[in-house]
Amino acid sequence: MRRQYAILAALIAVLTASLPAARPSAAQDWFKTGTGLGIAKARLAVPDTAARSSFTQPFPKTFHDVLWADLEYSGILDLVSPSFYPLQSPGQPSELNATAWAAAPANAYMVAYGNITMDGSGIAFSGYLSDVHNPQAPPVIQKIYRGAAADNDARRMAHQFADDIIAYLGGGQTGIAQTQITYVSERGGNKEVWMMDYDGANQHELTHLKSISLTPRWSPDATRIAFTCYVSYRGVTSAQICIYSTVSNRLIAFPRFRGTNSSPAWSPDGSQIAFMSSQNGDPEIYVIGSDGARLHRITFAAGVNTSPVWNPRTGRQMVFVSDRGGIPVLYLSDSDGSNVQKLDLPDMGYVVDPAWSPNGQLLAFSWRRPSGNYDIYVMDIVSRQLVELTKDEARNERPSWAPDGRHIVFESTRTGTRQIWSMLADGSQPRQLTFQGQNESPNWSPK
Amino acid sequence: MAYAATIRPDERLKRFVVTSMVLHALLALGVGVSTYFSQSGENWGGPGGAVTVGLAGSVPAIPLPQPEVVSPNRVVDESKGLFKTEPKPQPKTDLDATPIKKFEKEKPPKKYVTRPSKTLENPTPPPPNAVPYGGGGAPTVPVSSFTMGTTGATAAGLAVGGASGGDFASRFASYVTAVQQRISREWLQSSVDPNLTWAPRLTVTFDILRDGTVTNVQLIQSSNNRSLDTSAIRAVQSASPLLPLPSAYSGSRVSVEFYFDYRR
Repeated sequence: MRRQYAILAALIAVLTASLPAARPSAAQDWFKTGTGLGIAKARLAVPDTAARSSFTQPFPKTFHDVLWADLEYSGILDLVSPSFYPLQSPGQPSELNATAWAAAPANAYMVAYGNITMDGSGIAFSGYLSDVHNPQAPPVIQKIYRGAAADNDARRMAHQFADDIIAYLGGGQTGIAQTQITYVSERGGNKEVWMMDYDGANQHELTHLKSISLTPRWSPDATRIAFTCYVSYRGVTSAQICIYSTVSNRLIAFPRFRGTNSSPAWSPDGSQIAFMSSQNGDPEIYVIGSDGARLHRITFAAGVNTSPVWNPRTGRQMVFVSDRGGIPVLYLSDSDGSNVQKLDLPDMGYVVDPAWSPNGQLLAFSWRRPSGNYDIYVMDIVSRQLVELTKDEARNERPSWAPDGRHIVFESTRTGTRQIWSMLADGSQPRQLTFQGQNESPNWSPK
Repeated sequence: MAYAATIRPDERLKRFVVTSMVLHALLALGVGVSTYFSQSGENWGGPGGAVTVGLAGSVPAIPLPQPEVVSPNRVVDESKGLFKTEPKPQPKTDLDATPIKKFEKEKPPKKYVTRPSKTLENPTPPPPNAVPYGGGGAPTVPVSSFTMGTTGATAAGLAVGGASGGDFASRFASYVTAVQQRISREWLQSSVDPNLTWAPRLTVTFDILRDGTVTNVQLIQSSNNRSLDTSAIRAVQSASPLLPLPSAYSGSRVSVEFYFDYRR
């Protein structure tokens, strides 16, 4: 009897010992980390770009300035001030004195550097990102960026390098340095749709309708812009929905309706457009396929219903502006128009221009409280917490989120004229993007 | 009778008393009325005043880095200690030697008697450096404060000093930091129960594939709060895809043990 037990025990022991060996994952690499009381931003040093050939135009300086601005505006990095840098700027990994950068006063965690050359075919930038606390390891980014010998190409290459750095240090999050902003400008005499890089460079006119164009909105795939245009329909000039293709650089055919039609909004999958239309008398919200078919009405309430936005994460909810209760305020509903509820705010005043953040959690809007002018607020949809992002005498209106959810572009009259500004989504780092004429109604491209 | 000639006390005193009482009543009424009307001003901070609007940092759903917090030095933490005050060893009884009691039919049930409970004293005093069981922890570093944020050398040091299988954390310290930063930013604490101010550390494990996809997310240590557990798992899931694994790394996947400390 005892012997049988001993044999059984030995058998179990052998089986248990052989079990981990049978699983291949047992030899797998793993690491342990975590998060708690806030996370410090990564300290990044960006020394001057080394010029390795003679330049007729100041491309190395343009490149470095654009790169610095992109990284500083990302909101997730802490750039080391250039006055703390060691005297020698590296141009390639062999010239990097890692200990000097890691030590005080620079105390850098990473260094982004590189060299730029120019020849007959154009300019080439070799970019590196090195961990100075781990000097034996190869640079985590080593890439060559090429372009024509033009200012725009130098800027584009710097944006690409900045996005690569942000993608690495941000853990795979895409940067916004290559995104664009569309807006309405009347600097040419008429209100036309314009487009610019996210930092205000490369501003150019898209439409030439010689009438009034308003509220441009990017499609989710960033190939089309829907906007409100004033065109002739059955002999009457009225507000209609127009769609402009940024691929073919021309207008795409879209059906026209009776009455006033305005404020288009794309569904997150790009298959539908919601807009305000008074084709049956009262201004109500309609939804139509982006190919122009399957028109249907979703709001049924007296008064004006306008400015719809979809929840970009789920596509199942919508926020719109309605004055059914007396003054224009925000209402939340399902995307088929059912289940309408008012978004209550703790004060009076007009609430307009809803903009839903890309992660679906926050709603930005402009609100004119009795105590002041229009200002931009952000509301957490779930907890209804409010944050006021702008506070000054002027009007700050029409917010639009960047695809990373960390930046907001808006229009402001704080300089005396109506201009486009952008800021981090906590209200810090505001910067003016347009300076000429009057500019309004910005919309950030989704990619 | 001098006084009888000048006044008649009964009649005159009564008139004065009545007059005085009427005057006093009028005075009291006047004071009351004036106090009542002087109160009817506007109150400070009443309705129609300011709206309570939080600070920008208080909406945690904006995926920006949260401000760094310096935590005070603690002598002890919640982890189990080095020294354990063992319970007194019980005298062993030989089970086989205990005779089975006979069934006693006729005996009436014992009466229940209450006695004052005894306080048990431990005769052996604990050593002078003893920490109560469960109340101790790893010895603290001899500095006044330390920060939980990790950059630069601390990042590598923390990752290595923590634990890792293979040499992944030391070879690719910047990758570890990038993963930590990304998941910290994706951790949106607005969905956590607002009454919760503190929770025990919760730990989630997951695998990162070659292209950065996160798979096999598992909660291995709960915080005993469902909303917090959900928010942590969502943080990991919404961070997918993470950064692709470093090209110098030959393996096809890396496992991660990621902890979340919640304080409000």
